[in-house]
Amino acid sequence: MPLESILPSLFAGEVFRSAALPAELPPGALMGNEAFAAFYSRSARPLWAYLARVSADPALADDLMQESFVRYLCAARPDDGEVAARRYLFRIATNLLRDHWRKPRQASIEEIPEEFFAAVSSSAQSDSRVLLGPALAQLTLRDRELLWLAYAEGYSHKEIAEVTGLASASIRLLLFRARRRIAALLRDQNAQLGLQP
Amino acid sequence: MTLGPCPHEKEIAAMLASGQWPHAAPAELRAHAATCRSCAELALVTSAFRAARATASAAAPLVSPGILWWRAQLRRRNAALERVTKPILGAQLFAFSICIAVAIAFAASHAAQGLSWIASLSQLLRPASVDVAKLWPSSSGSAFWVLVPLLATLALLGGVAVYLASSEEQ
Repeated sequence: MPLESILPSLFAGEVFRSAALPAELPPGALMGNEAFAAFYSRSARPLWAYLARVSADPALADDLMQESFVRYLCAARPDDGEVAARRYLFRIATNLLRDHWRKPRQASIEEIPEEFFAAVSSSAQSDSRVLLGPALAQLTLRDRELLWLAYAEGYSHKEIAEVTGLASASIRLLLFRARRRIAALLRDQNAQLGLQP
Repeated sequence: MTLGPCPHEKEIAAMLASGQWPHAAPAELRAHAATCRSCAELALVTSAFRAARATASAAAPLVSPGILWWRAQLRRRNAALERVTKPILGAQLFAFSICIAVAIAFAASHAAQGLSWIASLSQLLRPASVDVAKLWPSSSGSAFWVLVPLLATLALLGGVAVYLASSEEQ
């Protein structure tokens, strides 16, 4: 059992207050519980969707999403609105995802992402009439990130550059190539399934 | 390879973002998308990603935000605590190293006297030469080095006793 769960009252006590909340603490770190709950309710689902689809691992998405929010709360950043805050959150998540990818690969206990999503809701998939998972799985992590941020989240090239840390000038070309690649994969997939694009 | 976007892409992208594509789109725009590779790709990819986003968002298993908020508070407090205790630990290490250095210096400066005392002790251990008077250093310099630590210890113990007595009264 971690120490934090054993001694919550001690850690919340006055002894640590002066050390925990210095005057120079950033506004983001002082976000109250209620304000955070509101931000979380608006940002958690899109963030989880991003992580789950890009990583193709829902369990990993759970872990990284929680870690992203905790790091967001601990981070020293200016309070510049919810749009920027969400972008910053996606940036943290992207970095965590890359760190995870750089580690030696471990076998995931959940290797059925597409079926997992299909079991939850099949109506949206039948609307789009495409299964994105198999096509996404054939792309690189960077391409998946770029495509999701551009076409699922609707971010501009500048915003994508901010989230991914890539040069803004290179986003356009990278995105163009990635879109061409996934469009071809989706067309092939639809042709195999006998679906109209 | 040309990277120049089709002039209709923005229009189609806006309709895709608002959920109006393709049903509410003008017929000529739909006809254009059917023939333009770039616009067709845009429509195909965007609708696939939007649908995937909606599906995945609905499937998201969310934990309570209070738990995450509490974890963040705890992590911040631990970090702050670490920042505070680091200088204290440094000071303790410094004090310990000073004590060690003083002890070594003291031992080195009195090594000669200690060796002579050990030699006299070994003589005392001989049964024929047991003489209590020899245990006490005869020279005035040696008596000084015995008396001073003794008095210092007594003064220290007295101070501690006074402190304990006064703290009990309070």
